[in-house]
Amino acid sequence: MSDAEDRSDPFFIGWAAAPGRLRPFLAGVGLCLAVLFGGVGYIAAATQADPGSGSGGRRETAIGVLAYDPYPLLYVTESERYPAGHTLLLSGNAKFGVQDRASALDGRLVQVSGGPVSRGDIDMLRLRGGTNGLSLVEDAPEAPPVPQPVSLGRWRLTGEICDGQCVAGAMRPGTGLAHRACANLCLIGGVPPVFVSTAAVEGEEFFLLADADGGPVTDAVLDHVAILVEVEGEVERRGNLLVFRIDPGSLQVAP
Amino acid sequence: MVATLLQIAEIYLWIGAAVAAVFLVWGIDRVEPNAAGAYVFRPLLIPGILLLWPLVLWRCWVLVRGENEACRHRPPRRAQHAVAIVLALAIPVILMGALLVRQNRPLERPAELLAPPAEAPAAAPAAPVAPEAAEGEAGQ
Amino acid sequence: MSVKYVPVQWNPNKYVYDAVLLVCVVLYIFVFLELGTADASVTQPINGAIVRMRAFGSCAFLMLSVILAIGPLARLDRRFLPLLYNRRHFGVMTFAVALTHAVYVLGWYFAFSPTDPLVALLTANTAYGQVLGFPFEVFGIAALLVLAILAATSHDFWLSFLSPPVWKSLHLLIYPAYAAVVAHVGLGYLQDATNPAFALLFGGAAMAVGALHLAAWLCCPAEPTVADEWVAAGDAGDIPDGRAVIVRLSPSERAAVFRNGRTLSAVSNACAHQNGPLGEGRIVYGCITCPWHGFQYRPEDGCSPAPFTEKIPTYDLKLEGRTVLVRRTAHPPGTRVEPTPLPEDVA
Repeated sequence: MSDAEDRSDPFFIGWAAAPGRLRPFLAGVGLCLAVLFGGVGYIAAATQADPGSGSGGRRETAIGVLAYDPYPLLYVTESERYPAGHTLLLSGNAKFGVQDRASALDGRLVQVSGGPVSRGDIDMLRLRGGTNGLSLVEDAPEAPPVPQPVSLGRWRLTGEICDGQCVAGAMRPGTGLAHRACANLCLIGGVPPVFVSTAAVEGEEFFLLADADGGPVTDAVLDHVAILVEVEGEVERRGNLLVFRIDPGSLQVAP
Repeated sequence: MVATLLQIAEIYLWIGAAVAAVFLVWGIDRVEPNAAGAYVFRPLLIPGILLLWPLVLWRCWVLVRGENEACRHRPPRRAQHAVAIVLALAIPVILMGALLVRQNRPLERPAELLAPPAEAPAAAPAAPVAPEAAEGEAGQ
Repeated sequence: MSVKYVPVQWNPNKYVYDAVLLVCVVLYIFVFLELGTADASVTQPINGAIVRMRAFGSCAFLMLSVILAIGPLARLDRRFLPLLYNRRHFGVMTFAVALTHAVYVLGWYFAFSPTDPLVALLTANTAYGQVLGFPFEVFGIAALLVLAILAATSHDFWLSFLSPPVWKSLHLLIYPAYAAVVAHVGLGYLQDATNPAFALLFGGAAMAVGALHLAAWLCCPAEPTVADEWVAAGDAGDIPDGRAVIVRLSPSERAAVFRNGRTLSAVSNACAHQNGPLGEGRIVYGCITCPWHGFQYRPEDGCSPAPFTEKIPTYDLKLEGRTVLVRRTAHPPGTRVEPTPLPEDVA
């Protein structure tokens, strides 16, 4: 191989020193790669979507009346953070519900303790383990009456089914398709499902989901979590919480 | 079902571990002259054997029978061209499909009232727990 | 090319190559985590684990796109061949980055639940009948498994043990794996991204990979195959000294006819190492040198010089006037064939 040829068409051999003519080209490729990686990394990171306003806070304690169906709720009677009459969704810490602990306490006056998460109209307490998180108030008189559901009519709403814990700020973002399997895991574990509507009903966009009879609806909605869906059902008010008693048969992907 | 699948995968890897042990200690010297006297690199082969032990056994069989030489210099050029072209065509299809099903957010859809409440409740709006009662309970 | 295998064969070029790779990856992750995310417009900060899984996932995608671009780039412009030289280290590093992404996903989205993370990964979303909401994780799992297999078989031992064609066939899995990654991102994160910048970057990278493969395919048409026992390789005067012409003998077999000074020799076009295209190489220090990894063979017998032991098949040659003819039937690897002198009238 002559020098002239080498200059016009350099031949790279991996175990030998790179031909002089090729070095500026290779240095340029290396520099371009570094700029590409740095630039793409910056743009991909800086354009991440806003995960929303959900947020957590320091541990809170509240006393109130527990309702078991469709998902464990607390009608607050006494708390430093929440006004009396406020409705709190209850779940366990991480991807656990509290159905096992709450089943024997339906309608009883209980004390709850855990980490609050909230977003919009949704307030949830992620209870600590065992009786530290949920316990019967001993020696209490009969529990005060809980607010009766008030029907707000039958509605067709468009929105996203989420797990109540993550959408309220336990995870940021706690919505969207990348988070879908995680949301399903939460729901399967017993965390209450929440419907985030694209339009408000009586000024509220977040609804606790239930089936048409007011019971849990988790199994029927798992394939429709984290995508925009259209669904029909009765909306009712329980305290300050809206419950959307959906007809799972009417669930369809939003056109 | 999934638990069974994972169990099968575990058994597969355990068999791979057994094959790796036998192959790296004993078999490799019989089929690969360049491995003779070289030991430090052998642990590097373990992940490959765990994942591909049926292929390893098949190659050992072929090499021991010595029917290997002719095809070593016939690269799968046509397969490579075909698979590269299929990829080039598949990429726009996948991208278009993903963008077509994409739901652009925020999606503004009105809430549609299908039927008003059956009868207006007498005590609307909803009656929360009476604050007096709550305080009374709290006093207990 | 080793006589005795070592864990990783390094040389100065590979050090530079790996250093550039490492700088690129560290730069990407640092810029993503520390600079880009800080500038994202958010009401509340995104979870650290989620930012990290995004950083490593997108980095692995970019790395894989660059890896797949190297092959067609080197076909279109030979100056990119040095990037192909150490592509296996690039692949192993990509697997490590992709695995880190997967570990963050498993340790966040699929942890903290009553279900085992691996079981949860496969059972939490089973909507296989839907396109929107499809369990896109399975595409990622499939691609990661392929990357694991390719990384685990990247040592030269596997090339020799499996034989280059089997090894190459196995490594062609990278193509379906890339398609799976595009589907993984397309049905996953792309659905959530609200800023079009991500769609442009992601779609642009994937389309560029596809376009480069199409361009390389269009620029390098396959030569026709002739059925005769002797196959014409063109005019002897058209072969520059130290170079070769490539003759297609069958759809899978090619020979390279090299000119070495005043003689001609024909050997297999497929290098014994990775079936690299020897006919696109040169004669350096009297030996045919592969353009991919620098493996060398003597033109007259297809043997690597001692202490190396690789061998390639050789072919008979004859001249009809100035036309070079190659006999279709190959000699066993390492068979000596007396070089054919060039015609007098060839300069």
